[in-house]
Amino acid sequence: MNRLYDMEPRVMDDEMLKLAVGEQGPREEAGQLAKQEGILFKDVLSLQLDFQNILRIDNLWQFESLQKLQLDNNIIEKIEGLENLTHLVWLDLSFNNIEAIEGLDTLVNLEDLSLFNNRISKIDSLDALVKLQVLSLGNNHIGNLMNVIYLRRFKALRTLSLSGNPVAEDEDYKMFICAYLPDLVYLDFRRLDDHMKELAEMKHQYSIDELKHRENLVQARLEDEQARREELEEHKAAFVEQLNGTFLFDSMYTEDVEGSKLSHLPGVGELLEFTYKDKFVIICLNIFEYGLKQQEKRKAELDNFMECVQEAIQENQEQGKLKIAKFEEKHLLSLNAIREESELSNIEAKIVQYSEDITELFNVLMTLEMQLMEQLEETINMFERNIIDLVGLFVENVQSLMAQCRDLENHHHEKLLEIAINILEKIVKGEMDEDLPDDVRSLFVDKDTIVNAVGASHDIHLLKIDNREDELVTRVNSWCTHLLDKIHKDEIMRNRKRVKEINQYVDHVQSELDSLECGDLLD
Amino acid sequence: MVQAVLKATSSLDSQRHARMEVLKEKVEEEEAAEREEAAERAERGEKTKRPMEVRRGETTMTQEMLRDLERKLSEIEVSVPEKILTFTKDTIDTSKLPLSYQSNTLKEEHLLQVADNFSRQYSHLCPDRVPLFLHPLNECEVPKFVSTTIRPTLMPYPELYNWDTCAQFISDFLSMVPLPDPLKPPLYLYSSTTVLKYQKGNCFDFSTLLCSMLIGAGYDAYCVNGYGSRDLCYMDLTREVCPLTMKPKETVKEEEKAPPKKYAIKPPRDLTSRFEQEQEMKRQEAIKAEEENRRKQEEARLLEQENAKTDPLHGLRVHSWVLVLSGKREVPESFFIDPFTARSYSTQDDHFLGIESLWNHKNYWVNMQDCWNCCKELVFDLGDPVRWEYLLLGTDKPFLSLTEEEDEGMNDDDDVENLGKEDEDKSFDMPPSWVEQIEISPEAFETRCPNGKKVIQYKRAKLEKWAPYLNNNGLVCRLTTYKDLELHSYKSMQPEMDRVMEFYETARVDGLIKREETPKTMTEYYHGRPDFLSYRHVNFGPRMKKLALNSAESNPRPMVKITERFFRNPAKPANEDVAERVFLIAEERIQLRYHCRSDHITANKREFLRRMEVDSKGNKIIMTPDMCISFEVEPMEHTKKLLYQYEAMMKLKNEEKLSRHQAWESELEVLEILKLREEEEEAHTLTISIYDTKRNEKSKEYREAMERVLHEEHLRQVEAQLDYLAPFLAQLPPGEKLTRWQAVRLKEECLNDFKQRLIDKANLIQARFEKETQELQKQQQWYQENQVTLTPEDEDLYLSYCSQAMFRIRILEQRLSRHKELAPLKYLALEEKLYKDPRLVELLKVFV
Repeated sequence: MNRLYDMEPRVMDDEMLKLAVGEQGPREEAGQLAKQEGILFKDVLSLQLDFQNILRIDNLWQFESLQKLQLDNNIIEKIEGLENLTHLVWLDLSFNNIEAIEGLDTLVNLEDLSLFNNRISKIDSLDALVKLQVLSLGNNHIGNLMNVIYLRRFKALRTLSLSGNPVAEDEDYKMFICAYLPDLVYLDFRRLDDHMKELAEMKHQYSIDELKHRENLVQARLEDEQARREELEEHKAAFVEQLNGTFLFDSMYTEDVEGSKLSHLPGVGELLEFTYKDKFVIICLNIFEYGLKQQEKRKAELDNFMECVQEAIQENQEQGKLKIAKFEEKHLLSLNAIREESELSNIEAKIVQYSEDITELFNVLMTLEMQLMEQLEETINMFERNIIDLVGLFVENVQSLMAQCRDLENHHHEKLLEIAINILEKIVKGEMDEDLPDDVRSLFVDKDTIVNAVGASHDIHLLKIDNREDELVTRVNSWCTHLLDKIHKDEIMRNRKRVKEINQYVDHVQSELDSLECGDLLD
Repeated sequence: MVQAVLKATSSLDSQRHARMEVLKEKVEEEEAAEREEAAERAERGEKTKRPMEVRRGETTMTQEMLRDLERKLSEIEVSVPEKILTFTKDTIDTSKLPLSYQSNTLKEEHLLQVADNFSRQYSHLCPDRVPLFLHPLNECEVPKFVSTTIRPTLMPYPELYNWDTCAQFISDFLSMVPLPDPLKPPLYLYSSTTVLKYQKGNCFDFSTLLCSMLIGAGYDAYCVNGYGSRDLCYMDLTREVCPLTMKPKETVKEEEKAPPKKYAIKPPRDLTSRFEQEQEMKRQEAIKAEEENRRKQEEARLLEQENAKTDPLHGLRVHSWVLVLSGKREVPESFFIDPFTARSYSTQDDHFLGIESLWNHKNYWVNMQDCWNCCKELVFDLGDPVRWEYLLLGTDKPFLSLTEEEDEGMNDDDDVENLGKEDEDKSFDMPPSWVEQIEISPEAFETRCPNGKKVIQYKRAKLEKWAPYLNNNGLVCRLTTYKDLELHSYKSMQPEMDRVMEFYETARVDGLIKREETPKTMTEYYHGRPDFLSYRHVNFGPRMKKLALNSAESNPRPMVKITERFFRNPAKPANEDVAERVFLIAEERIQLRYHCRSDHITANKREFLRRMEVDSKGNKIIMTPDMCISFEVEPMEHTKKLLYQYEAMMKLKNEEKLSRHQAWESELEVLEILKLREEEEEAHTLTISIYDTKRNEKSKEYREAMERVLHEEHLRQVEAQLDYLAPFLAQLPPGEKLTRWQAVRLKEECLNDFKQRLIDKANLIQARFEKETQELQKQQQWYQENQVTLTPEDEDLYLSYCSQAMFRIRILEQRLSRHKELAPLKYLALEEKLYKDPRLVELLKVFV
């Protein structure tokens, strides 16, 4: 954009911001106060920086709570430096030289965005703006009507302006937008009437139906994926993910070159497929189901524990509140009594009495807290014991099941070895009828080779099983320790917070009394 | 006949004599004991009296005491009926009463003799007992035996079929007159018809009427002559709890305790010393015992206060009530009904102190049992002649308890007697009642209470009853309960008084549920408001005096303090959500208390103090840190800023104004509602059921109009049925169709006949006219001849005759001329009618 006035581009420095904040701050009495105190950037809610010839957005990172920002009528070329303004609701960047929409990915609260009179040619990069209601993109360079379809994802969008763009020349412009954005109420600052909407819908029915179909498919796929992911998460939480099938078995053979070679031996295939695999998978399934059950149990235990702890804390808090409420009633009376007392000795007596009350309150509250802490500690210890027992049991049972797997593997190994040696003997004797693939035949050079090959395969399998078992055990143990750690930590935090709170309150009450004393002494 | 009967009775009497003598000794003994007791009682009564006098003598009267005394005296007055109701013979018009009231039949005379005989024997055998109440005088000064005064009647009203409603009706319908002498049965016992007519009576009247109705309804009921407590005799319910205020006991459901959870925390260890606890417990018990003692004493004192002084005439006051025996009408157990209050009592109740005799419409029994312990040990087995001495033998006994062995011999005797004197027994039957049929008109039944109004004082309660439609606001029953025995506070419709108004919060925009007012405060409860306001309490200060008579506008009371409470607003964090704000308007202080966060036990507080101060340079101080004292559970940066506090304070100031305005509007609304209520109270009309034809004016009018219409319709029909042709048609042979010739002749005949009648009528009038004129002329002639000798009376007579005769002549003249005028028209009308007659029309049409 060419500006008529010729001015040096300015930099958004501290000075400029301070000036703007000062000018736009509170007026009159409040203004005096503001001046007296100074305004922190992070408290500013609204900022107006128009006609400043700003070239580059900068130095705005301090305005954390800013909700409204006006940067119109500058010479900004790039949207940047707005990452910190996550509370922004209203952003005006009209009458600038922006060419592409960008840098808005953190502004999730933005509702009103104005990019009027810029050089934007494509609607894009607005995905994060889920609350967007008003979008102004007039007087830009948007040329492709299909680009509007991008706006379908903003469910809250009600007002759109695109006039002054090449697309607006299109004779189907209005109809098209109407059809593709059916929730839109205002287009180019005019209300879209129902009749128009109907017409548009009829006109573009086919393409929109298709679009909708596609969108639905995508949506369904996403949901499917989501469900699958959730299920997997659930299984992971039970530490038995992917044990409900042949995954482990398959994984044993994926890296096992010899094993796959050996599976081509006559008799091995059936052995593998029908006896070994089936049994193995059944054991896996057992582990899986057992894991889920145990997970349920652990969850129930944890829920029960949490509920009890919450109840205990609630009850304790209620007691505390009651004590404080009682105290405050008395507190008001005694403060007034002290204020109205004229006799100095009486005042002193009352003050002493009052401080004693405060001390007592402190003691009572602290006793309550200590009591609760002890009670909770006991309960937590009990829970710790129980959950560790549960986990131990789980691990033990899984290990025994895994041992069954290993047994199966050993058994299979022996069988395989037997077959291999038989075949070797046959080959040595030259009785071998069937043809073996060359790479398999190469194993049958001598006994050592074949035994080694079978052994290697066996080792790999055992390793896989061991790994899976180790993984499960470590994860469940670490989960347990983390959980217990967290519970302990939370309890400590809670305790500290409460103690702090009590101290703060008592200090406050005491200071009130002190200030009263000071005042009296002054009088 | 009479002689024979008398003999028979005397033989009966001899038996009775023997029996009575056996009893006599026993009775004498007991009565001696009773006398002693009575004497003792009297002494005691005196004793209790004396200290009072002494006390009164000692006290010197102070102002306060005078007031106290005054109050006490005024109370005493309340318990006594305002005016002694008189119901004596003088007020009754006896002239119109039927013959049976004014004289005795032969049978009744005989009965009276039997009764006298019985009474003589009784007084001879039991000289210590009071004479029997046998044949009091009725309203016509005629002695009537009590049993014949009972007239069993079944009332046509279903409400009166059961004893409770029946007794309630009588207690409402009659007003109570105390006995002329509380220690003696009355001399007079009026018929129930008279009692119902005048709607007042003593206890004997009440019980006779009630008994008549109960027996009529099938109950086994008896009138009792006995002794009652003072409360009973004077219908004094002020020591009874009103039955309407008794509430059914609420059954408290105990909530089931959930089983303790696995991780439920254990209660903290009890570190207190057992010994100390025990000691403490003992101490507590001692305190409790002491308190209990004090409470008991207090209660006793109150009780004494309530019971007032003991009755010196206790046990001597005569009362009459109704006994209902078990057996008939599915009554499971015998009980008493006090006819004054319509309350039922068990036969063991303390109020009933003794029974002299009882009777129904068939017989009369004298109680031969001792009443030393009130009626508690009485056996109501009327068939037992040792306990109950009967007057007439022949009548069937209610029942004989055969289980009692000693009675068996007696029973045999009775049987023998019964057998031997079967024919004479009939003559012993109670003669039929001399009382006319008892009737209660529907109007009287509906009006119930005398003048439709009745007030009953209960303990700490007052029950007022009115007849339907008596009060134009529709009030039929009002129960006023008092918290204590003395102090009565009245709540009025005046503004600024104690009052609670409840609203439908859904119907109101502001969600107001309840508004409570006391003279100094107003409390409002809200629900479901967008600003989450739940409670507003306004304290008012004393009204300022108006400085000038500037306007007639209301002078609202100044508000001293407004307390507002808010529900939790889930949209705000708890520590920024105000829970309570107090505007201390006079001190210019605003206190805020915030909601408590769920994991905290303390809540934020803030107090704003508005002080207009000026600093050393004369500049106004806008805001200083000491103008806002705040306590924050989790201190935050921005709230420490003066600017923030200043803005908060400005906002609060605005809200204070708003709150004050709303409170003021509430006050206005109260005034408005009160005004509206008053208007509503005044301008209401009762909707009367359309079936209530007597009261419902509209329906009455409608009904009458309907009746009138029906009547007119009927008349018209009669007229329409007048058939001119009938006499002529009758001459023709029936069942045949008319020929044309016949039809023409019929018409001619009919017309001729009518013409003849018209002429006859004219002639008749003419003849009368002529007769009158002749008469007049004769008189005139006579007058002229004797004019000189006539007395002024004769002259007057003549003149009046003349004017009357002239009048008659004129009328006849007019009628004649009118007849002449109308006759042709009538003739034509008939002709027309005949042409149109359905029977002739076919035939005459052709003819025409």
